[in-house]
Amino acid sequence: MNTSQIQELQNIFGKEEVLTEPEDLLVYGYDASPVEITPEVVVFAKTTEHVSELLKFAYREEIPVTPRGQGSGLSGGSIPHKSGIVLSMDKMNKILHIDPENRLITVEAGLTTSEIDPAIAKFNLFYPPDPGSVSFSSIGGNVAENAGGLRGLKYGVTKNYVKEMKVVLPQGNIVTIGSKCVKHVAGFNMESVFVGAEGLLGVVTEITLALMPIPAHRESALAIFTTLRDAAQCVSDIIAAGVTPSTLEFIDNKAINAIQDFKDCGLPRDAEAVLIIECDGEEHSAKAEMAKVEKMTEKNKVRKFKIAQSAGERDNLFEGRRVCLNALASVRPNLILEDATVLRSQLPEIVAGVSQLAEKYKLDIGLFGHAGDGNMHPTFLYDAKDADETARVHEAVKELFQLAIDLGGTISGEHGIGLEKKPFLADQIGNEGIALLQAVKKTLDPKNLLNPGKMFDMPQDTVQAA
Amino acid sequence: MHIQKNIQEQARQHLAEATKEFDKCMKCGKCRNVCPVFKELGNEIFSARGKNKLAEKLVAGDIEITARVKQAINECLNCKTCAANCPAGVKPEEVVLRMRWYITTKEGLHWFKALLFRQLLWRKWPITLGAKMVGLAQRSFFGIGPNNPVRHLFPLFGFSKRRFFPEMALKTGQSLYPEVIPAKGKKKMRVGYFTGCAGNLIYTNVVTSVVEILTACGYEVVIPKKQRCNGTPVLANGDYEGARRLMQFNYDLFQSYDLDAIVVACSSCGLALKKEIKQFVEGSPELEAFTGKVYDIHEFIENNITFEEGDLGKLPYKVSYHDPCHLVRGQGVREQPRNILKRIPGVEFHEMKDAAVCCGSAGSYCITHYDTAIKIDNHKVKNIQDAHVDYVATGCPTCIMHIQDNLKQHESPEKMRYVVEMLADSLRAGGKIK
Ligand SMILES: Cc1cc2nc3c(=O)[nH]c(=O)nc-3n(C[C@H](O)[C@H](O)[C@H](O)COP(=O)(O)OP(=O)(O)OC[C@H]3O[C@@H](n4cnc5c(N)ncnc54)[C@H](O)[C@@H]3O)c2cc1C
Ligand code: SF4
Ligand code: SF4
Repeated sequence: MNTSQIQELQNIFGKEEVLTEPEDLLVYGYDASPVEITPEVVVFAKTTEHVSELLKFAYREEIPVTPRGQGSGLSGGSIPHKSGIVLSMDKMNKILHIDPENRLITVEAGLTTSEIDPAIAKFNLFYPPDPGSVSFSSIGGNVAENAGGLRGLKYGVTKNYVKEMKVVLPQGNIVTIGSKCVKHVAGFNMESVFVGAEGLLGVVTEITLALMPIPAHRESALAIFTTLRDAAQCVSDIIAAGVTPSTLEFIDNKAINAIQDFKDCGLPRDAEAVLIIECDGEEHSAKAEMAKVEKMTEKNKVRKFKIAQSAGERDNLFEGRRVCLNALASVRPNLILEDATVLRSQLPEIVAGVSQLAEKYKLDIGLFGHAGDGNMHPTFLYDAKDADETARVHEAVKELFQLAIDLGGTISGEHGIGLEKKPFLADQIGNEGIALLQAVKKTLDPKNLLNPGKMFDMPQDTVQAA
Repeated sequence: MHIQKNIQEQARQHLAEATKEFDKCMKCGKCRNVCPVFKELGNEIFSARGKNKLAEKLVAGDIEITARVKQAINECLNCKTCAANCPAGVKPEEVVLRMRWYITTKEGLHWFKALLFRQLLWRKWPITLGAKMVGLAQRSFFGIGPNNPVRHLFPLFGFSKRRFFPEMALKTGQSLYPEVIPAKGKKKMRVGYFTGCAGNLIYTNVVTSVVEILTACGYEVVIPKKQRCNGTPVLANGDYEGARRLMQFNYDLFQSYDLDAIVVACSSCGLALKKEIKQFVEGSPELEAFTGKVYDIHEFIENNITFEEGDLGKLPYKVSYHDPCHLVRGQGVREQPRNILKRIPGVEFHEMKDAAVCCGSAGSYCITHYDTAIKIDNHKVKNIQDAHVDYVATGCPTCIMHIQDNLKQHESPEKMRYVVEMLADSLRAGGKIK
């Protein structure tokens, strides 16, 4: 970029909010995925109008722009693939309006998601989606990736809570999509297109989210199993029995031992798998649900079923799950965390498939995840300095994706496609599917300037590459 | 004896140690929002993740030691909040220190710092004399209201004009007592006391409190008169060699006394003698035995002393506690000081919000980066005001200095004190300390 372009950016944002020093740029070229590309400029928006002016400028000058939340993404979504400008949303981080009567909150997109709950607790409300990164990711990033969390199976994921959004389209027009009303059918259901768009179709600047009343009671339990299959089958059976726990998490033996090595959370080292289960609601109904859960665990030869007797016991239980990824990270130098997702009835198949992959490729794979919504996190533990092992990991990951697709599942349940899974998307949605995405992108962003190179390539890029 | 490594070898080793840390980093960003500096400055380069990346690029030779790199590396409080939150067990503050050491090994130490760390601190008497002179000056002409013209001189010494300073002592803490102070009654143990510079030169009350509490409870106290700075400010400013020399000196000095335990009433000095010293003094079973008998004063009191009914007199105050970083995260000392306060009759203890969040003082950081340090401290002041207390007790002199300064800026009436000062007051009121 030339000096007059930088000058123009400084006019829009103010001098302080435009970074051009090479050292500053370096630290806006990564996220939690392995890729890294340095941008030419970083800008901090403080208003929707800033974003609009930026995108108009970028369109005129034909410079790529990549929106960035807090850079916790696991698929490389915020990496400036074609360099250009990184648009940081960090400084649009205000809570704009709380509307307890309608159970709504309106926030700026850069707000850290975990700041929502403390602000609404006094109204006995909470915001259910709770990704593991809730305290180090932005609500805008959550919307762009349609983030899920531990409570997904009962409460759904980010998309179920987005009511209305202010979006700046790739050429700079500002639109408001969706509605604060519980029901609305005026126009296309555009929220669904923009949630999970990974910053390709527009920059989200304000979001109105639906909130839920805090459940009166939580009943939590630990179920210990001697075989992986029993644990997986138990999850399928719980769902089939018509129970919807708020949390239903799975942890396998490798992950259990990693956790216990990391921090004593009271998990049995010799168990093949455990389930952490929580039912919430009115006390009697939560207890009744838990009783049904217990029956299903018995049916699947549970070794031990233990209901937490105090808040302290419950916290200890969840602590194990919370530190799981951390614990696995300390086993080997590197890890790849996947999020392939299947129908819940297919859980035993994917669990068995992961064991076979570990055996076939002689790899350490820890398995844990949101079993209740079919979203497992096979975690490949390896040493990137070992070329042979790394190659085997990549082969195994490819095979895992194919397995998920063959079982009627998806290659990504919550981390998104970005750069990491771009090569595999066509395997799942086919060339026609890719063509539809390209058509939508082209309509809104004909010059392919907003977060280009993510999720899929545009036809002209494919030709160039070939 | 420690064999002095040559400079090149030292530089190489700093890089190797830093690499061990940032190699574990998954770049998840969990250390970002918790970093007090990042929270105020809002630029990723000041976050722990960003500093890890800079270090990585520096080691790879992709970037040079530029002014911006140095600025980023200097924007760190060594508060260890990042490390406490890191899922991968990375210690980003360790990376920062290694980089500072690496940079000074490469570029040499600024002449003023070299003079201060290698000559003045080493010789000790110039610092003691200087402090007394400042003490005299403070008493004679700065009644130091906010409008005193003397304030215009502050920037010459690198201080903000607005700053409120504690008074330097006219008689040092160490000179108030003989080297060995006998126990009252039957002797239980012989305890060495590392006073730290702040205890010796500024807050001499902490020295009297520690000595009086321990001797009244049956401990003989030894204050080795030759003790010098433990090296904390030296190592924070990148002078590895200067810090090594001071650590080795104090180690040899305290080893030459026959001591059952060594107590420290300053959070950073305690951390240095307990843990950091291991990087500087050649490892040996003697070193292990030495670090194993160093105790933070609150830890020592809670482990060893039970007060009898009536020992403790009433102190009718509302009190809160601020966790110094180098006690809570550095040494894992969290409950002991609170328990001491709660034990004092009449004390109404109120836990303040975010008691363990850094106040921004961080030794010399609040001198070199006053504006940011005050912004960080403003959250602390707000939480103190919301706690509605008379006193905030703590265990770190720089926290006391910094928070007290900012409370005054806010015209807020709360007073900062050492926990042991309050305990000594209570023992005096109870008649245990005569
Ligand atoms: C340890 C760890 C645990 C995690 N746990 C979970 C989990 O449980 N569930 C889950 O779903 N994810 C999880 N993630 C992934 C990640 O945190 C989420 O994808 C999160 O939503 C990313 O938010 P961010 O603010 O960091 O966005 P970034 O990583 O900065 O960006 C992500 C994408 O969003 C786009 N974007 C950001 N802001 C905007 C905006 N305002 N408008 C338009 N586009 C925008 C970017 O261009 C990019 O494509 C985890 C990550 C880590 C490191
Ligand atoms: S929390 Fe740890 S692993 Fe994550 S970015 Fe910070 S230093 Fe790296
Ligand atoms: S030690 Fe404190 S100031 Fe330094 S990077 Fe870590 S959190 Fe930030």
